Amino acid sequence: MKVQPSRKIWGIPVLLGLITLFGLLSALLGTGVWWVLAWGAMVIPLIVVMVKTRIWKAFQKG
Amino acid sequence: MSTLKNIKRWFWVHRWTSLICTLFLLLLCLTGLPLIFEEEIDHLLSKDAPYEVLPKDTPRANLDDMVKVAQQRYPKEALSFLFIDDEEPQVVVNMMPSLKGNPNTRHEMQFDARTGKLLKDEPSEAEQPQTFLGLMLSLHTDMFAGLAGELFLCLMGLLFVFSIISGIVLYGPFMKKLDFGTVRTGRSTRLKWLDLHNLIGIATAAWLLVVGITGVINELSTPLFGLWQITDVKKMLDQYKDRPLPKSQQLSSIQEAYNTAQKAVPGMTITSVIYPGNVFGTPYHFLIYTKGDKALTSRLFTPVLVDANTGKLDAVVNMPVYLKGLEVSRPLHFGDYGGMPLKVIWALFDILAIIVLISGVYLWVVRRKFYADYFLRLSSEENI
Repeated sequence: MKVQPSRKIWGIPVLLGLITLFGLLSALLGTGVWWVLAWGAMVIPLIVVMVKTRIWKAFQKG
Repeated sequence: MSTLKNIKRWFWVHRWTSLICTLFLLLLCLTGLPLIFEEEIDHLLSKDAPYEVLPKDTPRANLDDMVKVAQQRYPKEALSFLFIDDEEPQVVVNMMPSLKGNPNTRHEMQFDARTGKLLKDEPSEAEQPQTFLGLMLSLHTDMFAGLAGELFLCLMGLLFVFSIISGIVLYGPFMKKLDFGTVRTGRSTRLKWLDLHNLIGIATAAWLLVVGITGVINELSTPLFGLWQITDVKKMLDQYKDRPLPKSQQLSSIQEAYNTAQKAVPGMTITSVIYPGNVFGTPYHFLIYTKGDKALTSRLFTPVLVDANTGKLDAVVNMPVYLKGLEVSRPLHFGDYGGMPLKVIWALFDILAIIVLISGVYLWVVRRKFYADYFLRLSSEENI
């Protein structure tokens, strides 16, 4: 495989970081719908880990 | 400096900062897990009768009456502080045999905030058996070593932060030829765990950094409050130094002090009243802590000083920036500020952190030949 450009290496990690920070702050600074947005944002990195580590598939198989 | 040398250097930082703090970080992650659900576990284990059901607009009982009941039970003891709960209808009166005595001699009396009835008279911390959550909290904050333990864990937290940063730096060169989330399962266990360590580490990096940094700040709370006391607080109290010290039997009404403070900061909620002579208070005042009602301002406390002799308002105190920072860093460490779903998310991140820590140790144990090969490969690439 060829050497990847930095943008490709860092794209998803930076995005996940920003999503996490958004979630952390939105629950702190707001209430109501901001809490729901925070939950929605912060499960994204968790889901990414589950999918990529295939824990997800193990769950589906039971 | 060549890239390889640079990477090696970061690698060294990552290895040693991680290795030194890992054992303690594991302890922090494991003890932190039940602490996320402290409130729920507390409720579950509690044998207390539920609060009497009363109409929502039932007026609150007079604080002076509650204090009187407490004083009648312990006429020789001193009042330490009142906790006025804003979530449950309770007022907790705290007394000590002596205000300068050992903190674990403090004991609580719980009153119904609406009826003023004494609900519970508990023995002091020193006389109570260690609870599970109390044990977790001690292990998590100071390992039973007081300030020394706090500062030690603060240092471990700092190493952890450096290990995260160096881990992020190393992620770049490591992923040069790999797609995000690649887990090479076919070749060797060690390769698989290296990929998992990198994937889980980078996906949780932002959370790890925030919880790590706010944890470090929290461990500094004792020195930060101490700093405040010997600077701003001392300066402020100097202007009252000619005042007679209030006598514990002749203090002005606590309920009136409460009302005066409430008038001084309308819209704020009073959460506690520190009695004069308490080591965390002032010699001359009722120190009344109030907090705001918005998501963020409910984390920020504004102390109000009421003269304990006359009951007159003396000052509304502005907290310094570093203590405001400390107050905001608390929820970001505890994860208790966004309902139950956020607590569950916090717990899941915590479990992932444990996996990153353990896999890191594993990778160090099986390191040698593996990294020799890795560096050899990097250097051959550099020479092309």
